[in-house]
Amino acid sequence: MMEKNYAKPGEYKVIDLLAVAAAREVNDGEVVFAGTGLPMLAIMLAQKTTAPNSYLIYEAGTIDGKSLHLPASVGDARCVYQAAVASGLYDVFGQLQRGRIDLGYLGGAEIDMYGNVNTTVIGDYTKPQIRFPGSGGNPDINSMARRTVFIMVQEKRRFREKVDYITSPGWRVRKWPGGQMVSRQEAFGKTFRGGPSAVISNMAVFRFDEETGLMYLDTVHPGYTVNDVLNNVDFKLDVSRVKGETEPPTHEELHILYHEVDPEGIFLP
Amino acid sequence: MGKRITVQEAVGMINDGDMITFSGFTIWRRPMAVIYEIIRQRKRNLHLIEVNSGTHGDMLVGAGCVKVWESCWIGHELFGKLGGNLDRKVRNGEVITEDYSHHQMLLRMAAGALGIPYIPTWASRGTDILNPEYDMLGKLGMRDGSNPRISRQKAQWVEDPFFEEGTLIHVPAARPNICIAHVQQVGEDGTVRVWGQKYADEEAIKAADKVIVVAEEVVPEEYLRREPSQNLIPPYLVDAIVEQPWGAHPTGNFGCYEVDGPFMRDFYNKTRTQEGFDAWAEEWIFGVPDFDAYLEKLGYKRLQSLKANSAYKYSNQAKRGSR
Repeated sequence: MMEKNYAKPGEYKVIDLLAVAAAREVNDGEVVFAGTGLPMLAIMLAQKTTAPNSYLIYEAGTIDGKSLHLPASVGDARCVYQAAVASGLYDVFGQLQRGRIDLGYLGGAEIDMYGNVNTTVIGDYTKPQIRFPGSGGNPDINSMARRTVFIMVQEKRRFREKVDYITSPGWRVRKWPGGQMVSRQEAFGKTFRGGPSAVISNMAVFRFDEETGLMYLDTVHPGYTVNDVLNNVDFKLDVSRVKGETEPPTHEELHILYHEVDPEGIFLP
Repeated sequence: MGKRITVQEAVGMINDGDMITFSGFTIWRRPMAVIYEIIRQRKRNLHLIEVNSGTHGDMLVGAGCVKVWESCWIGHELFGKLGGNLDRKVRNGEVITEDYSHHQMLLRMAAGALGIPYIPTWASRGTDILNPEYDMLGKLGMRDGSNPRISRQKAQWVEDPFFEEGTLIHVPAARPNICIAHVQQVGEDGTVRVWGQKYADEEAIKAADKVIVVAEEVVPEEYLRREPSQNLIPPYLVDAIVEQPWGAHPTGNFGCYEVDGPFMRDFYNKTRTQEGFDAWAEEWIFGVPDFDAYLEKLGYKRLQSLKANSAYKYSNQAKRGSR
């Protein structure tokens, strides 16, 4: 195998690294649910590099499209080109609930130490300080896909011990109707399939301990230190398992991102 | 020609306080010509029940037409990160929100379409969406049965009695008074054809008691019946037909036109204050007598740049990105 031709810091932007790191989470042959933005860059890059036999599903209802031009949203007409099926939400959410989706890419405004994500409100739900767009399919994908990957902005106010509202379930969640906090496995019982497997921020990659469900630091992006990450997390983060630096983008990956995936600059600068 | 009416007459079919839903997905294929006219006719106390919302919903909220917003998402995708009007009005306590997840909202609409009162799902377990403290309609005493379209409970939990797989969530059916759908083609009698992604249109149309279909063009039934497998809805489910080319602008329409991103971004930026929204509405809604005048104000050049290429099904002229 050819030696990888890595780009050096300064030769790529943070968003490039995010897309590349997210693309590396896809295994070849998987069925992937992707939302608007970075997830699209990630899966399309993966399909052109390490996961050519993966299938892409958009929440609005297209399955395995081969977009000629990058869609600007999952409802975009561009999603449909050369798709296996163009249907609707009932089809794709049904497949999700049926257990056919291996990986989902998601985002959020806030995340807590167990991977619970908030995309609904800041403050008390009944009298919020900010009303965000809301859940969309985030909790559906995150509760029914086998694995999810979150892409987040690294800030203290976004990596919190507790989020204001659990829009999307992590590894320690509310069990209804009582509402007590229990492990995801306990809350989901026989239909537990998996959960958040990675959080990729502009500074680092995080993963979750299988026993405790707690987030730990896995790799730190080139140009950042463990301390930078700690200064931008509002809970006690386990940094004892850091493997080292996040693998930087290669020149080939950057070329594909800028010339094949997003030449118009829809999401990339 | 029996079902053909004008946009103004279509909005006349909507009553204050109605529960209402729409075709489309976020910023795609929304019945904007009707949305503008609802605002012009100053409809009030609407209860939006939507699989997902978007620019159209936030516009109705900004104009003071909405009492309850029941859905899972609102925003303008790339062109505005949240629903500026809903954000402001929720903070001020002027609009009631009831959140479900996307799949839950879809299933609620499907249950409405199937004529059953509720439907089970695994979707979105473990979240605050199911927190009874956040059942806003319940907290406000609106689940007392006085409005038969509002369910007695937000959700329920039931053990699977058949395969013993665990505790399922039961979500109540969505039962809107009216669905307003924008589509590419409708037959003279009401057969509906949708091109591209169908989103949740079938469920929304079938769940509603009354259906108004706005189409880019009305075509002979005979034409649509040459390929029945391409059609979505039969004529007897459609109560009224409006022909309105470009009627989904500024949202996009597969095979017809692009999302007008700059227009949407400008709208979003102005919705951060009520004064900003009011000035925007004065210019683009109250300042023009009807949708044709709105299209003239937009101008040929702008519309031409959004027009879809018939091979691609989207515009290859609109400048979309930074490069």
